[in-house]
Amino acid sequence: MRKPWYHILYIRSPLAKIFLGVAGAMLAVVLTIFQFSIEEPRMKAQEDNWNGRSIEKGAELYYNNCANCHGADGKGLPNVAPALHSKYFFTQRIVDVGWAGSLYDFVELTIAGGRPSKVGTQWAQMMPTWSRHYGGPLRDDQVLHLTSFVINWEADALTQTAEEDPFQCFRNAPTKAREGDKSPDALGIKSCLADGTALMPGAPPPTPTPAVATGPRPPQQLFTAMGCAGCHQLAQAQSDDNIGQPGPHMGNLPETAGQRVPGEDATTYVYNSIVNPNAFVNAGYVGGIMPGNFKDQMSEEEINSLVAWLLDPNRPQ
Amino acid sequence: MAVQPEVKNKSLLNTALDLADDTFTRITAGISAGEFRRMLRGEAPGRPNPRLKPHSETFLLHIKPTYYHESVTRFTHTFRLGLLSTYLFIVETITGIYLMIWYAPTPERAYTDMIRLLSAVPFGQVMRDVHRLGAELMVAIVTLHMVRTYLTGSYKPPRQFTWFTGVVLLVLTLFLSFSGYLLPWDQLAFWAVTIGTSMAEAVPPKVVGETVNLLARGAPDIGANGLMRFYLLHVLFLPLILILFFFVHYYKVVHFGISLPANEEEVGQDTANKVPADRRVYFLPDVFIDEASFLVVFTGIMLLIVTFFFQAPLESIANPQSTPMHTVAPWYFYWLQGLLKIADKMIAGVILPGILLVLLMLIPYLDPNPSRRVRDRKVAIISGIVAGFVMIVWSWMGTPQYAVQGAPSVEVVQELMPEEGAGLVREIGYKHMHLGVYTTMTTEEMKKRLGDEGAQALLDKGVIPYEAVHAEDDEHFAEVMHEFELSVRKWEETAADFNKPYGIVTITQEQPSLKRIYWEIHWLSGEGKDEKFYRSFWLHEKSLYWEQYGRKDFSFVSPSGEGE
Repeated sequence: MRKPWYHILYIRSPLAKIFLGVAGAMLAVVLTIFQFSIEEPRMKAQEDNWNGRSIEKGAELYYNNCANCHGADGKGLPNVAPALHSKYFFTQRIVDVGWAGSLYDFVELTIAGGRPSKVGTQWAQMMPTWSRHYGGPLRDDQVLHLTSFVINWEADALTQTAEEDPFQCFRNAPTKAREGDKSPDALGIKSCLADGTALMPGAPPPTPTPAVATGPRPPQQLFTAMGCAGCHQLAQAQSDDNIGQPGPHMGNLPETAGQRVPGEDATTYVYNSIVNPNAFVNAGYVGGIMPGNFKDQMSEEEINSLVAWLLDPNRPQ
Repeated sequence: MAVQPEVKNKSLLNTALDLADDTFTRITAGISAGEFRRMLRGEAPGRPNPRLKPHSETFLLHIKPTYYHESVTRFTHTFRLGLLSTYLFIVETITGIYLMIWYAPTPERAYTDMIRLLSAVPFGQVMRDVHRLGAELMVAIVTLHMVRTYLTGSYKPPRQFTWFTGVVLLVLTLFLSFSGYLLPWDQLAFWAVTIGTSMAEAVPPKVVGETVNLLARGAPDIGANGLMRFYLLHVLFLPLILILFFFVHYYKVVHFGISLPANEEEVGQDTANKVPADRRVYFLPDVFIDEASFLVVFTGIMLLIVTFFFQAPLESIANPQSTPMHTVAPWYFYWLQGLLKIADKMIAGVILPGILLVLLMLIPYLDPNPSRRVRDRKVAIISGIVAGFVMIVWSWMGTPQYAVQGAPSVEVVQELMPEEGAGLVREIGYKHMHLGVYTTMTTEEMKKRLGDEGAQALLDKGVIPYEAVHAEDDEHFAEVMHEFELSVRKWEETAADFNKPYGIVTITQEQPSLKRIYWEIHWLSGEGKDEKFYRSFWLHEKSLYWEQYGRKDFSFVSPSGEGE
């Protein structure tokens, strides 16, 4: 009988089999010892790997959800959202708010649950809730990815000088202790005052000055001070191709304001939109984002001047 | 005690030797030390054969035949594929139990448990890799076992029912492998199983299909219930059924004996159980040595593959809201996926596989040819080869190469940096992706494509043209740019509305240890309109990505050294 080509695989000798078996066993033992010897660095590498992947995923989430308000570089937008890429944030923030846990937990909780209130602060909007548990869009693992991403700014943030630190102080969260080794002054970090201004290390705390009665503020200043600029772009025109986020663009407001709500002329419409923003919400936006307390922050005269300025086709800057 | 008179009779040394021999015989269940030595020397057994004792004494050996026909012990007759399938089932059980210790089948925990297994459990990754490789090998080996049985005609009378149980075992193996697929709860698992179970939905009539689907998934969509059900199927129900069918199968194998090579017996005869005394090969020691050494060598090779060439994949956590590009079934279901691309779900996913399965089971009853000799079975052999070839073609159609295509721009980026899995960019990693803006155009091409001004504007922005990326600076990065350029050009040739394309990749440092890789593809549509596609990915210094098959990266052992 002709032997098939694969006949070579047929080993007859029991001795050869035993020899191969012993060689196979030795190979298995050697490989197991090798696995054992690299197990520690391998586990470490895997740990770093999954942390790294978490940061990568967090980055994508950040750019899709957070960069609008906190800035693409994490340095915040004035009166819209505080900086995260900041030395103050990484060293002083949880001390000043009296948070006993770690910064990681603080960030995670803030992302998950948002800020329930902005009473007494200068921010235009509340931090929304992001976790699914509280009505937000993100899963638990996504909240953790985002937290890892935010915390990953630490190494860079700690190299900032107090002057470079972009953190805009919260109006009602002043730095408590400015004395001692661990104080921000000693560590070269800026500190915050109750009125929301920052104090550079070593600078004396300002003496309170009696409030001086001032006249109505000009609309240009109001637009920034009230935080409007954080959400509304003046330079861009709102259209179907260019929908402003978080709020509509205002470049072409003088032309379009009169057509939004039937029966309201441009002036009434803009006035109502400032005083009672949730009464009418444009298609494509949700209610409750724009603060409803501007009436308390501006005088009637100031609001009217702001409306007139917004509706002026040649707004003076 | 009776020791003392014995010592008096036989001397102390002889008594001790007898005691030792007695102990040895107890451990080996009937083989004395002298007999063991004779075995090793290759001497023939005496009569009556003392080497049969262990078969009657021990449970595990009593199910093995005491002797085989010499012809069927040749490796090239059976290739030990049945033995290997059984062995792999045992390997899967052991590694599976190890994995179960660190695993909870809930969507909240399953995926994090995988990460914990990889990063905090000693030997966790090795166990997972062996389990995964073992599962894939088991599918392959069981299939080969069936092919071998088919080619030698061993399914013919009296072994029809053995073949039938074998087909059941093959199906159970496939289901076992598939049910385990979902457990890591990553994108790969989730979408493969979503596709798989959606076929159950196509079972006619509608109410049956929906009920089957609902029973498998535990809800209209796969979620916590589906995961629990697949887990129980995988660790309890299917293994138990498989064990039952294994014993039926094995009983039949031993009962009828392994079929002899066809030309050693008359056509229509079955003489496997009538072994002439001079053709007997006893299990102890010959077959035992053969099988044991074979399994040990196989284990060594399997460990070798796992150590250097195989890594079980783990993608992002399952996300029902986003289907990753090019979702594929495991390779042993490519053929089914291929069928699904060309036919309706009911026909390709239910009726055709159902018919195939019934046909497979009925082969012994459909084949009227009594001869097992190859030259008498031309029709059977040729149809078997054709069927195998058709399977391969269907499988090829199941891969993303066939009839699945995104937009060219999407495919270009997917090729270099896929949504899931590694891809070239992630394989070379963070340190080889140098900050800067690079384009697939040379300066000449830029001028041609964008005009002198446009080209100058890009150059002024610091865009590095294609010819300025040199392999001497960093061959890995140069390879990325080369592949990028190649891929853009390849799609230009094949896609009609993808004209004069060029790509730009911008690499920026976003955070410490985190780079952003921003891909832009520009092209002219069929109407000559400017089109643009962009996609951002981030890459962390420490993240490792790997392919399932391929050389493993051991750069973590000496972090400062080169990766490869």
